[in-house]
Amino acid sequence: MVATMSAVEVENLSMSYKAPVRKSGLRAAFGSLVRREYKTVQALDEVSFTIAPGEVAGFIGPNGAGKTTTMKILSGILHPTSGAVQVLDTVPWQRRSAFLKRIAFVRGSQPVGGSQELTVMDSLEYQRLLYDVPRPTFRRTLADLEALLELDPLLERQLRALSLGERMRVGLAMALIYRPEVLFLDEPTIGLDVTAAGQIREFVREYVEQTGATVLLTSHYMADVESLCPRLILIDKGKVQYDGPLAELSARLSPYKLIRISTQGDPSPFGEVVDKADGQWVLRVPRDEVAGTTGRLLQALEVVDLAVEEPPLEKVIDQAYREGLR
Amino acid sequence: MRTAVLLGFRLRQEVLEWSGAWWFLMTLVVQAVVAPLIGLFVWSAVYPDDPAIARYYVAVILVTLMTESFEQHTFSERIYNGTLSHELLRPQPVAVGVIGMNLAIRAWLTLLGAPIVLLTGIALQVGFDWWAVARSTPYLVLAAVLVFLWTFLLSLTAFWTDRVHAVVGFGSQLVFLFGGTAAPIGLLPDGLRRVAEVLPFYGMSGLPAEIAAGTRGDGSLGYQLVWVVVLVGVVMVLWRAGVRRYTAVGS
Repeated sequence: MVATMSAVEVENLSMSYKAPVRKSGLRAAFGSLVRREYKTVQALDEVSFTIAPGEVAGFIGPNGAGKTTTMKILSGILHPTSGAVQVLDTVPWQRRSAFLKRIAFVRGSQPVGGSQELTVMDSLEYQRLLYDVPRPTFRRTLADLEALLELDPLLERQLRALSLGERMRVGLAMALIYRPEVLFLDEPTIGLDVTAAGQIREFVREYVEQTGATVLLTSHYMADVESLCPRLILIDKGKVQYDGPLAELSARLSPYKLIRISTQGDPSPFGEVVDKADGQWVLRVPRDEVAGTTGRLLQALEVVDLAVEEPPLEKVIDQAYREGLR
Repeated sequence: MRTAVLLGFRLRQEVLEWSGAWWFLMTLVVQAVVAPLIGLFVWSAVYPDDPAIARYYVAVILVTLMTESFEQHTFSERIYNGTLSHELLRPQPVAVGVIGMNLAIRAWLTLLGAPIVLLTGIALQVGFDWWAVARSTPYLVLAAVLVFLWTFLLSLTAFWTDRVHAVVGFGSQLVFLFGGTAAPIGLLPDGLRRVAEVLPFYGMSGLPAEIAAGTRGDGSLGYQLVWVVVLVGVVMVLWRAGVRRYTAVGS
């Protein structure tokens, strides 16, 4: 594959592995001593996509869809069964030092590796050595990260004594102290409260703005995806089901919009009533009839307030997971 | 050079890390000294008039403390819990982390075990020829390398089995039997002694202890070096196969 203008290029990526299986019971257990049976699990099936430098893409799908497997392949931990992958024009699973210094893989489930007895500052200092960050750059980046992630009170604390939210902040600081160009974020807000999750989102947005880094983010929280990712890649059962703008997915999956209306009258003849409380109604109206319905509502009823909304992303995605894409 | 700097920093990190677990390290010290102490009591009772026995076993205790390896607990656990992935994504050889931790634990065991060695020596009125002790240094260094390679080699089986402790436990029994802890190998029956002299285990414990105790004037560094080369080769082959497997199926 020749050098490209993509930060990440994935072509027909497949990953399968054999998992031992056996029926329950003693007889099957003895049988498996002689002849083990395996079942082939297809984790990824001909996945293809590219991500341009500086792009932030959301990578979503139900549990077991293949998101983390893809992330592991792209960062170099896993070796695929077939297909071609280039990240920054390098084959990731060769794990060359020069490549590893340009990427970061942060997992919400294991944000901080390494010695847990060390202080945050000791760990950052080790990262400086490991990634050959010149001291002036290290000091400058650390100052930025301190401000963005409110690290100051954490620097002298031991890793093992940090709360989950603090660990995630420190995990990001340790990953970003060497200013990676490509960032793989696997569930960065998992288990965090609303405030901590918001902080992480805000930080990622600012980091991307400042550095122009390329980001691939998986999350089950649609708030993460909505606020950070203009582009969405939806994967299910190891296949890419959708790749495009977030708004388009929403329109494709949900041919309706919601009209939220405050009125003393009865707007039920104008659309399907989804919700009704304290004089406020929510009507479901086909997308192409929204303008006409709104006009008729305003003419027929005394309207105090009216808003047209997209259906909640959670609902749209839930529908995509359960029913697939049409 | 860079690897040496990273190793130095990692060693410092690990020494700090383990400083918080001194009580746990004390249990490791006790485990390490029990087997040579039993050997000492048994063989001192058999040969009450031979001061070399006590001298030899005090040296074995010290060699054991300075060469203990626990990769089945440290490295293998990283395979089992998946944190080996963190190490694979660092721009440094994974061995830097493993060796750094190994040296840190040995430093702590030596420090915490020194009083036991000293007390045993004083209690049994053991006197050393310090020239012999100095001469044993290169043998001790190679013994430390051999024990590490042997334990690391067996710990690599964690890529294939979740019973790594049984595998390493079996390996430790071989060191105990043929390394000179169960009995100085000179006291083994002829056939067994000849086998023990060829296997690598004698070079891991008995050989440096005999030289330090002055019961053997010279030994063959070549014998230890040959085993270092063999074990390095096998470790490299197994490491590559293990990582290939790990990166094919994940953690």
